[in-house]
Amino acid sequence: MELISLAVRTIFIENIVLAYFLGMCSFLACSKKIETATGLGLAVICVLGLTVPFNWFIQHYFLTEGAMAWTGIPVLATLDLSFLNLISFIAVIACTVQVVEMILDRYVPALYHSLGIFLPLITVNCSILGGSLFMVERQYDFSEAAVYGVAAGSGFALAIISISAIRKKIRYSDIPPGLQGLGMTMILTGLMSMAFMCFAGIDL
Amino acid sequence: MKFLLKQMENIKPLFMPGGKLEKLYPLFEAQDTFLFTPAETTRHAPHIRGALDTKRMMITVVIALIPPFLFGMFNAGQQYHYVNQIPDMGWLDHLWRGAGIVLPIVLVSYVVGGTLEVLFSIIRRHDINEGFLVTGLLFPLTLPPTIPLWQVAAGIAFGVVIGKEIFGGTGFNVLNPALTARAFLFFAYPNEISGDGIWSVVKDPENVVEGFTGATPLGAAAVAPRGVNIVEYLSEQGFEWWTMAVGLTGGSIGETAFFACLIGAVILIVSGVGSWRIMAGCVIGLFIGSTLLNRLPAETYSSFTQLPFHYHLVYGGFAFGAVYMATDPVSAAATAKGKWIYGVLIGILVIIIRVANPAFPGGVMLAILFMNVMAPVIDHYVLQAHIRTRRKKAREESLTYVQTQER
Repeated sequence: MELISLAVRTIFIENIVLAYFLGMCSFLACSKKIETATGLGLAVICVLGLTVPFNWFIQHYFLTEGAMAWTGIPVLATLDLSFLNLISFIAVIACTVQVVEMILDRYVPALYHSLGIFLPLITVNCSILGGSLFMVERQYDFSEAAVYGVAAGSGFALAIISISAIRKKIRYSDIPPGLQGLGMTMILTGLMSMAFMCFAGIDL
Repeated sequence: MKFLLKQMENIKPLFMPGGKLEKLYPLFEAQDTFLFTPAETTRHAPHIRGALDTKRMMITVVIALIPPFLFGMFNAGQQYHYVNQIPDMGWLDHLWRGAGIVLPIVLVSYVVGGTLEVLFSIIRRHDINEGFLVTGLLFPLTLPPTIPLWQVAAGIAFGVVIGKEIFGGTGFNVLNPALTARAFLFFAYPNEISGDGIWSVVKDPENVVEGFTGATPLGAAAVAPRGVNIVEYLSEQGFEWWTMAVGLTGGSIGETAFFACLIGAVILIVSGVGSWRIMAGCVIGLFIGSTLLNRLPAETYSSFTQLPFHYHLVYGGFAFGAVYMATDPVSAAATAKGKWIYGVLIGILVIIIRVANPAFPGGVMLAILFMNVMAPVIDHYVLQAHIRTRRKKAREESLTYVQTQER
């Protein structure tokens, strides 16, 4: 029950894109076509779902103060390596993205090409690193971290798929020249996050 | 009529390209098509013959809005007399007092929104659309009678400009402009639009008799103590099913009256303007949501979860939202199956927001706004599924055709 509540909260109430505005670059750039958006959304679910629990593992068994007590070596047992958090998280994320990229290239080449540069750029997508950092900050345990990773990715996927459907719908709209393209997408993002605010404060 | 036609023909050159008032053509066009059927026809296929253009459609909605509007005025007056303890008032007095409260709000909404609409249509050179008459009336009806007028102006300006005009005007928007305006006010000025003390105008705030705060049924149900029988609790507070269905309770101007909205629903469905699928979907969703929640153990969850379906139906803004807001053809789902999904999800969301979210007891507007965002996605997947089944069918048919040929 706790975990379901966490998942619902992460997807709808604390949506990583629409409540924290993380991962905006790919959210804005890859939402022109629904197919691309779906692909990127799935990739983000995959990467977040893998990296958050993996980073949890690294953080808890290597990096926090006293984490390496399991080795039995007295010097290591008192070591505090938490200053390595960021760099090791990034390394894990980069590796995971590499793997996802290879899998996509091998099995779904069409999607691989339509995602273009944004697939390797998931590495520096703020929502991915944000997921791991939130995990540290909120002190999740392992199962919570796993659920949180998948749910945060699903929240990203939900947001990017719905905005791409909206962008498809407004393709024929008579938008003022100055607002066409990104400008309109920014405004849409604002309106969407206003709509998502209907969940703010829900107490599960 | 002939005289009018002649007058219009006389002044027409002024507004045509090259004329003096060329810039004001949208104003002329609005007047012209308001009075007469336009002479122009579409140049490219598809051609559809029909008397129902956006103008007639929007006017039908405005007509359907009259019952809740009139009742809202009556109720605002009635609540005023009740809260301020003014006895011996007839229904005409109620209506008169209510008109004094409600009409300024509607007027501000029309004037501010209308000015912006005309301004945009002149600069952007598109036609003025009657859609605004609907937005400008829908929006005030979702507000509490105590709302400050400047907030009405700010809200409708946001709704018309950000919700509609920057997309290119009526028909191009994604969210319902009236809902956008309402949500904007809701999050920008929560004090004036939610809470217990705002639902009826108080003449002299210092001397209100204790116990006459004019809470809404929703507010009362949200604070009901755990474990009590919610129906009995509400009737102790003076909220019987019938009083709520008739609508003589505190609440936003147009949304308290279930029966007035029902009349509007009949008008919309019979004229074919509002989608019955969406309305039915909303009710079904509400039923599913409330029945599921009723199954929860009463001891561990708040007693609000135990509220039966027919109470939810007449509660707060549900009927108003489902009839007038959810059925907006621009922002709702467009496919038939999509409309069902859209409606049912609205109903379920309403229950979730109402019961689980103590901050916004009136979750209807926000639920519809959220589903406005989701409607294009629903349509996309419905269409994709349709294409897939048709393709499969076509393939099977061609296969059987080939087989019969071979035989």
